[in-house]
Amino acid sequence: MFTALFLFFLWRPISLGTTTGLFTALKHAFRRPVTLQYPTEQPVLAPRFMAHPVLTWDFEVDEPYCTGCLICMKICPTDVITVSMKDNEKFASEDSKRRKIVDDFKLDVADCIMCGLCVDYCNFDAIVMSDHFDASVDNRSNLVHDLQTLLDEGKGQQEKGRWSPPATKKSQRRSAAQAKVSKPSSSEEAKESTSEENEIETD
Amino acid sequence: METKATVIRDENSETAELRINMGPQHPATHGVFRMVLTLDGERVVTVEPHIGYLHRGSEKLTEGENFQQITTLFDRLDYISNFNNEWVYVRTVERAMEVEIPERAEFIRIILGELNRIASHFLFYGTYGLDIGAMNPVMIGFRERERIQALFEGVSGARMMHNYFRVGGVKEDLPDGFVPAINALLEHLKKGYEDAKNILTESEIFIERTAGIGALDAERTLDYGVTGPVLRAAGVDYDIRKADPYSMYSDLDFSVPLGSHGDCYDRYMVRMLEIEQSIKIIEQCIRRLPDGPIQGKVSRILRPPEGDFFVHGENPRGDLGVYLVSTGGTVRPYRLKIRGPSFSNLMALSSMMEGAYLADSTVILGSLDIVLGEVDR
Amino acid sequence: MNISDYISIFAIVFVMFNGILGSVLVVIYGERKVLARLQQRIGPSRTGPWGILQTLADAVKLVLKEDIRPQNSDRIIFYLAPLIIFTPIFMLWVVLPFGSGLVLGDIDLGLFYVSALLGLSVVGMVAAGWSSNSKYAMLGSARSAAQLISYELPLILSILSVGLFAQLFTDNPFNLSSIVNAQAGLPFIFVMPLAFVLFLIGGLAETARIPFDIPHADEEIVGGAFVEYSGIRWGAFQLSEYTGLITMAFLASILFLGGWSGPFSDKFVWLQPFYISSKTAFIILLAFWIRAPLPRLRIDQLMAFAWKAIIPISFANFILVSLVVFIGDRISLPIFQIQLILGLLNLISMIALAYLLTSRRKRRLAVYRERWGEK
Ligand code: SF4
Ligand code: SF4
Repeated sequence: MFTALFLFFLWRPISLGTTTGLFTALKHAFRRPVTLQYPTEQPVLAPRFMAHPVLTWDFEVDEPYCTGCLICMKICPTDVITVSMKDNEKFASEDSKRRKIVDDFKLDVADCIMCGLCVDYCNFDAIVMSDHFDASVDNRSNLVHDLQTLLDEGKGQQEKGRWSPPATKKSQRRSAAQAKVSKPSSSEEAKESTSEENEIETD
Repeated sequence: METKATVIRDENSETAELRINMGPQHPATHGVFRMVLTLDGERVVTVEPHIGYLHRGSEKLTEGENFQQITTLFDRLDYISNFNNEWVYVRTVERAMEVEIPERAEFIRIILGELNRIASHFLFYGTYGLDIGAMNPVMIGFRERERIQALFEGVSGARMMHNYFRVGGVKEDLPDGFVPAINALLEHLKKGYEDAKNILTESEIFIERTAGIGALDAERTLDYGVTGPVLRAAGVDYDIRKADPYSMYSDLDFSVPLGSHGDCYDRYMVRMLEIEQSIKIIEQCIRRLPDGPIQGKVSRILRPPEGDFFVHGENPRGDLGVYLVSTGGTVRPYRLKIRGPSFSNLMALSSMMEGAYLADSTVILGSLDIVLGEVDR
Repeated sequence: MNISDYISIFAIVFVMFNGILGSVLVVIYGERKVLARLQQRIGPSRTGPWGILQTLADAVKLVLKEDIRPQNSDRIIFYLAPLIIFTPIFMLWVVLPFGSGLVLGDIDLGLFYVSALLGLSVVGMVAAGWSSNSKYAMLGSARSAAQLISYELPLILSILSVGLFAQLFTDNPFNLSSIVNAQAGLPFIFVMPLAFVLFLIGGLAETARIPFDIPHADEEIVGGAFVEYSGIRWGAFQLSEYTGLITMAFLASILFLGGWSGPFSDKFVWLQPFYISSKTAFIILLAFWIRAPLPRLRIDQLMAFAWKAIIPISFANFILVSLVVFIGDRISLPIFQIQLILGLLNLISMIALAYLLTSRRKRRLAVYRERWGEK
């Protein structure tokens, strides 16, 4: 009887404002927790997830895609990439179409801001963003990745299926993305833009 | 017998004002912000804000970066609403170079920008609840923001530092399955919004703590150059999306929630209702999302012509303006001035806080919803 | 007293003390888990199965931490303050009965003892805040002095009204065991719900829990009186806080929920501690639940709530109970009828109060409705 009376008379004044909050909290207790128990449960990473960039490997020719063209080095906002190029021996023996190839490639992951600009501006699909988000090491110098490490990591990414060699060239894909909006009227203009594409000025 | 209300104060005893230093290490200063408060008992007499603990020289740094690289700096200005920051910057360069942007890219930008506004307001909701002492709001706020960020990760590859907007469009097209994903997300957000509303909006303790606190009337908000929800809470109808429409906003149907008293409660409510409006905008955009290219015709090297250009946009915190001076033909700006909403809003702090209680100081600061990354730049 | 008496006293105190420490660990773990569930989290889950060793690990960490004393602090008081807070709360447990006869000192003026000791913790708070030479700590201690003193009154008045009512049943109305025995028929919560609510509010305020946690107010004064303490001294504050919470819940279950009595409790004695601890746990859970979504009041609102609402109501309640008991005793009504009358009167006054407060709450809510309701 008391309960009925209580509910009847007290419920209306009580069931305002704050009480709604209390019951909302109570409702949450019966929902599934949203926590991800990190080291035991791994997050599902999006296909586009960006950790630091790595270099890709051309399995057909068995050499890196990277020609050491320095564009990524110039576009990197934090200047963490150092590249040098050399003559490609396989070009001389006509195994490969790459006249020049990367000689050394250093990436300081400690300063990389994972912006993806290097990937965006590389014309040879030679660099891709990896999913190595747990990149912690116990010594800062271990964060400077050299060519071999980057290529190994890149192979790992390719094996995982995060990256596979695209059918078309990057510059073609780029112009396809912007083709329809304002068609380049004359062929001269198109030529101009492609010649510009391959260099990033740093004056 | 005559009775008279008297203030009981011993004439011989002296009271002293207490100066306390709140921050830079303090749980409620939203980053590294420092206030020196002079207290009379529990009342705040004066407040001196000290800023600059997060100064990274962003404006100066832009002078050493290419136009393509500056987007990364804008990501890190107001690190709660990254897409909106990038957007204002790329619009500045687009205006300078007179780039035409494909419609699909515009809609993608609106969807992401509005989602980011929702995320930012949910974060505000959470931290504001925490400022007032409630624990549940922060969990709800973060839960919803986390869902939005998961979607962002699918689109741009990063949860916060996206670097996704490009001059002329966006970096890549939306991923497969984006539309179903965002529809599911919006359903979640509506539910989360209900939860959020149930806990604080009508709670008497919350109203008691915020209504009438830190009020700024319309005139003073204008004097201080306050923008965003803080301005609209005072009843001034100024939203750049309406007042100076950019992108496709003039085609979209949404309203601007306005407050009447300009106090902390109105600021809270304006933000909460903006979540509703943003959801509405996104739903319209998804319906109208066209196919087509996502990148306008821009050369890979950006060389804006000589001149100075000013573009502003409605960020979750207010009016973010970018003033670009270009000498023409160079790949770097000569000068790039950022007008941060948090910084301008913070200027009104002392006039709101004087005479309030010590406990109100965090409530008032929280209601401004500042991000120190943008205040100090 | 010979040596064996000392040894047995020592053994009992040792067991009691460690039992309380253990239950504090359980309560802290429970709070973290329950709060986590109320917020769709998991809570501690890594130390031991389901994270049950988390508080123990935290305690070990606190013990191992460096003990820091701020410069220019008052050394003696600074070191004494944790003890001053700590001791009275533990001394309370001397009179609290776990079962019939299962009590250390069954003193006749148990209720007075309890209310006297409850008032002592404010001394420690002020001592801690004053001695640590920190403005935040001083503000915190001033706040807690104001709050604890204001909320002591409704707490003690509701305790006393229980004592008054227990007069009808026993010659020994201030003895906690006889109060429990008096509730064998009908727990006092059904007779005096108003006093129970007042006791809960006072208890929440005394233990400085949300929405009354102004003395700590993490977002304003960062912990209040014990902001300068570290290591095990800070742990002692935390310990006494949670012991305070347990004590309040225990007292509430003794005074209003019928203590150890329950179905078959007089046949099976071993059921009694189980009953009383589950009642205590229920009230503690209530406190956790309240903590999750509610914001904190401001100091002036808190004081206004105490002096303008709670204290007058508790005086009125006290007068109501004493009038009913006095008149009922005079005209020698049977106890059942007195209970019924008091219960009904209480219920009516609660409803009246609820509607009275509702008008005030509505005024608050009107802020929302007027400004934002129609749009
Ligand atoms: S831009 Fe591409 S090809 Fe050129 S150096 Fe960088 S990774 Fe190699
Ligand atoms: S991701 Fe950005 S910061 Fe990192 S190497 Fe590439 S361009 Fe440089």
